[in-house]
Amino acid sequence: MVFNSYTFILFFVLLLGLHNLPFSWKTKKINLLGASYLFYALWNPPFILLLWLSTVVDFYMAKLISVTENQRRRQLWLAVSLVLNLGMLSYFKYGGFLLENFTMLMNSLGIAFQAAKPDIILPVGISFYTFVTLSYTIDVYRRKFKPESSFLDFALFVTYFPHLVAGPIVRPEDLIPQFKQPVKATSEQFTWGLFLLTLGLFLKVVIADGWLAETSDFIFSLPFPVNPLDAWSAVLAFSGQIFCDFSGYSTCAIGVSLCLGFQLPENFRYPYASVGFSDFWRRWHLTLSTWLRDYLYIPLGGNLAGRYRTYLNLMITMLLGGLWHGASWNFVIWGGLHGLFLCIERLLRRKPRQTQPAGQHEMVLQATVIPVRSSRLSTLLRVLLTFFLVNVTWVFFRSPDFNTALKMLLCMFGVIMQGPKMLSTPDMLKVAIVTICLLVTHWNMRERSVKGLFQSLPWWFSGTMWAVMLILIVLTQKSTGSFIYFQF
Amino acid sequence: MRTGGSVSYCLIFKAMKKTNYLKTACLAAAFAGIFVTGWESYLRQCGFTLSYNDDESLWAHTRKNIYEATPAGPVIVGTSRSKFDIDLGTWKSITGKEPVQLAIVGTTPRPVLQDLANDPDFKGTVIVDVMEMLFFQPDGSFTETSARKRLQYYPKYSLSQHASFHINRKLEDHLLFLDEERFSVNALIKRLPIASRPGVFVFPVFPMDLEYVSPNRQTAFTQNFLRDTAAQHEVEGVWMKMGLASTKRGVGGDTLTNIIRSVAQSVDKIRARGGKVVFVRFPSSDPVWAAEQQAYPRALYWERLLKETGVTGIHFADYPELSRYECPEWSHLSPADAKTFTRDLTRIIGDKTKWSLQNAVSQNIP
Repeated sequence: MVFNSYTFILFFVLLLGLHNLPFSWKTKKINLLGASYLFYALWNPPFILLLWLSTVVDFYMAKLISVTENQRRRQLWLAVSLVLNLGMLSYFKYGGFLLENFTMLMNSLGIAFQAAKPDIILPVGISFYTFVTLSYTIDVYRRKFKPESSFLDFALFVTYFPHLVAGPIVRPEDLIPQFKQPVKATSEQFTWGLFLLTLGLFLKVVIADGWLAETSDFIFSLPFPVNPLDAWSAVLAFSGQIFCDFSGYSTCAIGVSLCLGFQLPENFRYPYASVGFSDFWRRWHLTLSTWLRDYLYIPLGGNLAGRYRTYLNLMITMLLGGLWHGASWNFVIWGGLHGLFLCIERLLRRKPRQTQPAGQHEMVLQATVIPVRSSRLSTLLRVLLTFFLVNVTWVFFRSPDFNTALKMLLCMFGVIMQGPKMLSTPDMLKVAIVTICLLVTHWNMRERSVKGLFQSLPWWFSGTMWAVMLILIVLTQKSTGSFIYFQF
Repeated sequence: MRTGGSVSYCLIFKAMKKTNYLKTACLAAAFAGIFVTGWESYLRQCGFTLSYNDDESLWAHTRKNIYEATPAGPVIVGTSRSKFDIDLGTWKSITGKEPVQLAIVGTTPRPVLQDLANDPDFKGTVIVDVMEMLFFQPDGSFTETSARKRLQYYPKYSLSQHASFHINRKLEDHLLFLDEERFSVNALIKRLPIASRPGVFVFPVFPMDLEYVSPNRQTAFTQNFLRDTAAQHEVEGVWMKMGLASTKRGVGGDTLTNIIRSVAQSVDKIRARGGKVVFVRFPSSDPVWAAEQQAYPRALYWERLLKETGVTGIHFADYPELSRYECPEWSHLSPADAKTFTRDLTRIIGDKTKWSLQNAVSQNIP
């Protein structure tokens, strides 16, 4: 079920009604759990078994880890959880990719090997709920907290429908404590939740699907090179589309959850106003970047294992982060580029420090590629440079294969100039308007919050803006589009 | 710095205290409700005809019915011509069974035919609409990939999408503005008179009240369009721009051979399971028909297709009762003509193929 569907509206209205009936707290949680399974099963019912398997195994493995003193046994129980979760993820998500690459390797070695093409369907959200359950068992293993005693609370934590299929990737401490005491959304929370739901749907339905998807899909699907302006338009369109699509989903999820009385962590902080790539990853898909930091980068040694090891750790983390997004070399390249930019940024940040000590402000300035030091203007230039480089990386993320990515880059940078003009002026105008609006909004909001802005505006103005979003959602009518991140 | 910060925090705090969420929400709901009601009323006053979205959901919903297809209620694959020219109601009144309309506007029917051929459970009858300009487009062309995109949606058609489709259908029964093709924001933006760069092909815009789609995917011209000769000329202009009146020769050589071979393979698969196939060439008129004859000479395309696939074909030009029509915009029949055309077509199919449909025809037609 997607948030931008009539089915969800019906589902949500019924669930809200049920959740506000005078049942016991346990009954309400059972209702939420049942609704979450229904939410998931309406895609492909059999895959609910995987969700159950993951839930049951991790619940009991965490208990065993907790009660076992023998270190080897603790490791064994952790391994069971890791093998099960990562095994399922590997099979469903990377099975075909691994087989394809193995076949290519064998053929390149002169060994005739032909495998039947596997017919594997990717269960929706498997990457997300795998990370959710993994963080739980790993944290119990690390003795960060005791295992959850209530199976109901744990199952609800894993399956809670707002975050289930595309995040935010919640941690046990984010959600489980909220299930302990009866909570009910206040009227303010409820209304704010509805506003966030509207904002998320506006980003997804109107901007991502309505204004940008067509342009991006069209140009990236062409088998021939295009005019540089068209290539840039397509990349900028995708840049806006993926942000609006994914942050739209997260905003919907946070809003929906708030209507039920539960708070989910934020996932985006105006990433297109980032000053450098470290800043970008503190603003883009926060719950993934912190997950990778806590469960991959730091266990690898982080930045405490020596200079070169730090660069290596960064690259490993970003390469695997790229692969998490999909079974394709293009995602690996995307992650690799981000890792490379992070390393360069770190390298540039190191050099001046050796000559003279820097203050906090100076440190921020040094953490960039452009050596401009005139406060706001220089920050803006660095934001634009970061945005430019992020767009270059999106080419690999969006392209169906490496050749298409290469072709697009050659078009964008004018190496191929003779490509035909493909996009109509209205389509290009839409991309330009959205890109400018996104950059201006992100720039102005980079240190603020939507709620702060909402509260600072007169109620009639906020109400009118809210109405405009609702009207545009109704008039855009793209009700069936899936969210990009569901495939991950 | 600290004082300034305290002052600004105080201001924010005051603003927070003032924020009335409920009032804001009520205003938003009221504005949105008034706008949508006004928009719907305006469209109704303009006299637009109610139409259903002919999207992938409606196609997938229709696709589910193929397993009951028989000669009396066949599956139709093709282009907009079969959607306009076969009147499903008339067909049903004659044979007692409504055809399953799977034709997709502006696409070659080959991918859908191939999909039926590859479905081991499909054993029914197929009417294939052969509009040469679309039918003989090579693999990878826009018309071919568009059809494939529609096909890819079907296996992913989830229970949730199915439920959304039914809710949407109930709303579409009553609300004009839900017609995405005509009244969505994107559709309205496309109508803005903004010139594009020289050399850019912009898909031409059809008149607003050209056609309507029924829940069974029947397409028909609106009465407003049939009365409006200026609108008809506008569509003729669209066809000219899209090359329907072009005399440029279609594909040949290996490409044509491969196309016909792939169709033959699909036909053989359907027949091997007991299914039946018939090709139909629907009418066109004036410059379009003249151009089609030059661009796709009958002997090189139609006759060769029939010969190499061994399928029975019905070409409108061979039958006076099928070729007596004048298409309002050179390419599709009017709803009234579609009724008589369908009646004659069912009789001719029955006569020519000797399928059991013939009995139904003779029993039902007075």
